[in-house]
Amino acid sequence: MRLLIDEYTGLESPLHRWDPRYKLVGLVTLVFAFSFVRDLRMLLAMAAVTITVYAVSRLPATFVAKRFRYPSFFLVAILLTLPFLSGESVIATWGPVAVHQEGLLAAILIATRFTCILIIGMVLLGTTPLLTNIKAMRSLGLPDIMADMALLSFRYLQEIGRDLRNMQTAMRLRGFRARRLSRRGLKVLAWLGGSLLVYSYERSESIYRAMILRGYGHAPPPKHEFQASSRDTLILVAVILVTVGFIIGDIALGHNTAALLQ
Amino acid sequence: MHIPDGILPLSVTGAGYGATAFTTWFSIRKIRQKEDPRRDVPKASLLTAAFFVASWIHIPMPPTSVHLVLNGLLGALLGYYAFPAILIGLFFQAVMFGHGGLTTLGVNAMIMGLPAIVAHYIFRLRKRGGESQRKTGVFGFLSGALAMGISVAMFVVILLTNLPAEINVISERAAIYALAIAHVPLIFIEGAIAALITVFLRRVRPGILDGV
Repeated sequence: MRLLIDEYTGLESPLHRWDPRYKLVGLVTLVFAFSFVRDLRMLLAMAAVTITVYAVSRLPATFVAKRFRYPSFFLVAILLTLPFLSGESVIATWGPVAVHQEGLLAAILIATRFTCILIIGMVLLGTTPLLTNIKAMRSLGLPDIMADMALLSFRYLQEIGRDLRNMQTAMRLRGFRARRLSRRGLKVLAWLGGSLLVYSYERSESIYRAMILRGYGHAPPPKHEFQASSRDTLILVAVILVTVGFIIGDIALGHNTAALLQ
Repeated sequence: MHIPDGILPLSVTGAGYGATAFTTWFSIRKIRQKEDPRRDVPKASLLTAAFFVASWIHIPMPPTSVHLVLNGLLGALLGYYAFPAILIGLFFQAVMFGHGGLTTLGVNAMIMGLPAIVAHYIFRLRKRGGESQRKTGVFGFLSGALAMGISVAMFVVILLTNLPAEINVISERAAIYALAIAHVPLIFIEGAIAALITVFLRRVRPGILDGV
């Protein structure tokens, strides 16, 4: 199964070559540091680091643009509500509507943090295939049961999705149209969901038998295929230093969105 | 109903990951107490994928439509596998569609997963004093509706109390009421769908209701 997020994992860049385990640790730590930042000046540094990381990853701009379609609704909602609902210091008025400084700063803070974390997350997930990331998580301590569940669920998502589409097509061919909320409509949709569960449950039994035949549960757990070089370690150290820099810098500057204005 | 990245402070996202790590550890510990813990992994995995796909089913609510959450039903059917299943599902949603976020994965897993565990315990009560189709439907409804209700309450409280902005008390109360009222129909729909599906499964494949 090939996902949109895996589309550019075959590119060549230092981030593509970085050991997936180190990349997970480094970039996840970095996004947590981003969520700590509150100072407006640090937001600029955050944006600069994000742009640099994205540029180094060589992922095309269209990749980020496609992934922003759904989250952009959230950004618009934040920018359209907080400046008007939050705060007391009025900086502009249009008739009965007033823009408050505190709300505007909060909206800028949330929108910047959200955008930067999303882009770094896309670099993390877009430069390593999802399956490799799950294996990297296993080698970092993700319990075997969870790793097996993630790999198996991922493996069958597309097939079960196809089952759903086939069943929906069959329902439409038989004249079912869910246009309004009705008791019968709910019942039919519930049976659709129930059928999907029954199909998957039955399929799981034959999958289990096939897995047992291949030694599932008796073979030693698979060894991970990762091998870090000193270059991987150096990149990790650099990213951790940047992370620590964000935390120390934000604390030194007051850890406050309005610090610049005080 | 997923909290995106950027809103919550580090203390809350960190606490969310801590709580998620503990609940996952608790769930895995319960799973490992089974005679052959790996036996049910394929069932739990395929049902996880099926729930993920079933959440794409849209219920018409003119002028719009809503998609199902199904965390209550998932808890009722998957038992202790429910929390890891929700964590995996949320991770896939963040990866595939950008719903939720990486830093908020822990908090979102608690919002969806904790009520699923509650639903598991509620659904088990149907067996007290003998099982019947009516009781399966009633406890199915309760597990679906209550799980959704608890998730909505957790979502609203966590979101509004952690916005990095001071919202005056009147606006905050209005927002809480508005969000709660907007979700009431969804709570009933989740309950109704969970009841209809559990009754359907009882007729077609009752073994699924005994849990994974």
